[in-house]
Amino acid sequence: MAEAPGRKARATSTGAGRILVAVYGIFALSATARAAVQIAGKFSNAPLAYLLSALAGVVYILATVGLASTRPWARPLAWTAVLFELTGVLVVGTLTVLDAGDFPDDTVWSFYGRGYGFIPLVLPLVGLWWLHRTRAR
Amino acid sequence: MYDALALATLLATGALAVLGLVLTALNRPPGPEFKIAVGVVVALLAVQAAIGAVRAFGVTLPEQSTFLIYLAVSVCVLPIATQFAYAEPTRWGGTVVAVGAVATLVAVLRLQGLWVPGG
Repeated sequence: MAEAPGRKARATSTGAGRILVAVYGIFALSATARAAVQIAGKFSNAPLAYLLSALAGVVYILATVGLASTRPWARPLAWTAVLFELTGVLVVGTLTVLDAGDFPDDTVWSFYGRGYGFIPLVLPLVGLWWLHRTRAR
Repeated sequence: MYDALALATLLATGALAVLGLVLTALNRPPGPEFKIAVGVVVALLAVQAAIGAVRAFGVTLPEQSTFLIYLAVSVCVLPIATQFAYAEPTRWGGTVVAVGAVATLVAVLRLQGLWVPGG
């Protein structure tokens, strides 16, 4: 045995982590439902924005699964999804602030998630902090 | 849709959220009494959804499907959040239910905005 008092990674879905999983679950639901309605009803209006909505929905689903599960693949999945989510909200947020014309319709990440109380901007930061906090060390 | 029932569901979900946060602040896992409170709120939401769905089919709404999806969401989120909260009885359970209650409150608010008969 190594001498280092190494600690295994803690489950991300226990204790206060359940709040994070709940919030992610709600965003997975709302982003996916929104994209489904947009794509089914008026796809030709703004294909890019609606595909982006769908992508955001998938990313939230993967992040929720990654954070809720304790399987070996869950933690890498959660890291990847949350990092992708942070990148998405920053890139789309910046693009929409600079030139709203490219995004004729709102997505979850437009204007850094303004339509959702900026939660889409704060959520990945909390997610990364939580993944870091519960990591093996 | 701006009527007494909508106001009641908004107040009920808001009160439930506060109650859940208070439980977390008091370091208490949510118990059977809290579950009854959730049940009452969900019953209220179910009544609202039933009335809303019936009325939605009698009028023309600009975003009919979105309205119906929000109706379904307004009923389903709290039971799922409650199930998840009670699966691990810690002080954080109250906050998990509070998150569901706030999401439901937002859904009810969106329903108000989507209720534009003939629009």
